[in-house]
Amino acid sequence: MPRPATVPMANDDPPWLSLKMREAMEAWLFLGPTLAGFLIFFAGPLVAVVGYSMTEWNLLSQQSTFVGLKNYSHALTENPDFWLVVRNSAIFALGLVPANMALALALAIALSRPFRGVVVFRTVFFAPVVTSAAAWAIVWKFLLQGEAGFVNQMLAYVGIAGPNWLREPNWAMVAVIATRVIKMVGLNMILYIAALQAIPRDYEAAARLEGASSWQIFTGITWPLLGPTTLVIMVITTIGSFKVFDHIYLMTGGGPENGTLVLAFAIYEQGFKFFNVGYASALAMIMFVIVMGLTLVQLAVRRRDT
Amino acid sequence: MASLTLRGITKRFGRTEVIRGVDLDVKDGEFVVFVGPSGCGKSTLLRMIAGLEDISGGELRLDGRLMNEVQPAKRGVAMVFQSYALYPHLTVRDNMAFGLKVRGVSLPDRLKQVEAAADTLKLGALLDRYPRELSGGQRQRVAIGRAIVGEPQVFLFDEPLSNLDAELRVHMRSEIAALHKRLGTTMIYVTHDQIEAMTLADRIVVLRDGLVEQVGTPRELYENPFNLFVAQFIGSPKMNILPVAAVRLPAPAGAVKVGLRPEDLRIVAPGAGVVDGTVVHAEYTGAASLVHVGLDGGETCLVVCQGDGPGDGARVGLGCEVGRVRWFGDSGQAVSQS
Repeated sequence: MPRPATVPMANDDPPWLSLKMREAMEAWLFLGPTLAGFLIFFAGPLVAVVGYSMTEWNLLSQQSTFVGLKNYSHALTENPDFWLVVRNSAIFALGLVPANMALALALAIALSRPFRGVVVFRTVFFAPVVTSAAAWAIVWKFLLQGEAGFVNQMLAYVGIAGPNWLREPNWAMVAVIATRVIKMVGLNMILYIAALQAIPRDYEAAARLEGASSWQIFTGITWPLLGPTTLVIMVITTIGSFKVFDHIYLMTGGGPENGTLVLAFAIYEQGFKFFNVGYASALAMIMFVIVMGLTLVQLAVRRRDT
Repeated sequence: MASLTLRGITKRFGRTEVIRGVDLDVKDGEFVVFVGPSGCGKSTLLRMIAGLEDISGGELRLDGRLMNEVQPAKRGVAMVFQSYALYPHLTVRDNMAFGLKVRGVSLPDRLKQVEAAADTLKLGALLDRYPRELSGGQRQRVAIGRAIVGEPQVFLFDEPLSNLDAELRVHMRSEIAALHKRLGTTMIYVTHDQIEAMTLADRIVVLRDGLVEQVGTPRELYENPFNLFVAQFIGSPKMNILPVAAVRLPAPAGAVKVGLRPEDLRIVAPGAGVVDGTVVHAEYTGAASLVHVGLDGGETCLVVCQGDGPGDGARVGLGCEVGRVRWFGDSGQAVSQS
């Protein structure tokens, strides 16, 4: 009698590793490269900077002495330049963030709907974002020269005597902020365009049917729905404004009369001009805490509002 | 309440004409449903009535007043959108009050009107919730509530039930019908679901390719379709269309097609009906079976049969009362029996 065909039985022996452990191993395998990069290039340097900030370490003499929190107390209580630098950074951020966001939103509203040539306009406003910071700064340095500068010549045509933008302490900050806004506004514009296009058109149609004006639609519907995007933009722009270095270095070198000396540039000067690595590290940690604090405040405000 | 008149209404997007001359009269307090296949222009026509789309040609009148150039908010219409379009950052109360607020109605009056609308739709317990905290049916009711708060003259519904599951759709359908009875306001309702159209409408407007194919009561459309398109669009399952030669019936002059509704056919002995065939397949649906009969001429005919149908492969005849048969001419237009 022929034997009936049978389905081969699965091996009933328990596997060496449970399914959960095998899945965990796979997860760690995928996470590994990113985690290694994070530890080597972010967590490691951060811990190192915390350590350096508690030393008096001159890069030239290669002598390092543990001084505890002395660098922090020196910056916060003894060095008057520190508060000037913080003030300049705050002015830079307060000038740049609202101007950048307002301009980005205005451009996004204008360019979020299709019309002939819209891609050209979007490209024009986004192009500076991908332009070399060095080239951008050098070009603007020429444009903003005293009487011979293009900007002042244009102002002269309409009867305005422009200042020497980069040589006067108050105007230098204005000029640096303005050129930075023009350079970076395209990035936020793109983020706002994406957010505006994600708002269903039916909301506007419904509001219009109910009698809302364009301004009421913007304040009552569009702006609140842009909230999450606005928060992201505000956080990244604030962080970017505190980290600004290239613009200052190339356009004003922190001057005139320390009028544009901001935190990131001061850290560079302390570390690589005066070789005070310990003090520069302490400044870097203070900047980290300021930026982290501002970000947390922004997140908390946003959470409260929703 | 208001009457609505459309005369020669057209709509062009660039070179494409999507509404090609629509004439329609909607009476005060009437419930009119626009039906048609996707892309026939029914939603576009509704948005033109709302003022959300420009009118390329023709006249739109509300209570005799020309509305072509009047702003949406000043037409006295309210619309319930397919997506509901509830503002996600506002509570139900604020959603319903939004229109009153932008029109400058005082806060106490706003609250009073919202409460009244909420009572009508049993939304009182939901007023402080956000749209994300509501079920599909509740969102639908809020959308309707937002529309009735403004006390419009005409309600416009753009496929409002299409996002709901079948059971909820039936329930909301009856709520909308009850609301119409209670308010007595003119309502224009767009759907591609002919059951919705049949159950809700005082009159149905069947649209195809931007043109009105037929306007009539559900019964008129079902029993006396003007043409093949309407005959097949109205009724479920759809009407069987066969060549006149396939049936043993005297055809009127000019008829080339014959229409037999599945529910009008009955299974009889072979040779005893108007046509013979073989059962291909029967779908049991509970109360009835839908029997697919392959005819000797090669066509397939659907028959609604009470209870179980005959088994697959059974040889059957199909009978039908002569008065229930519809005839169509070469161009698809209905041909009368006499």
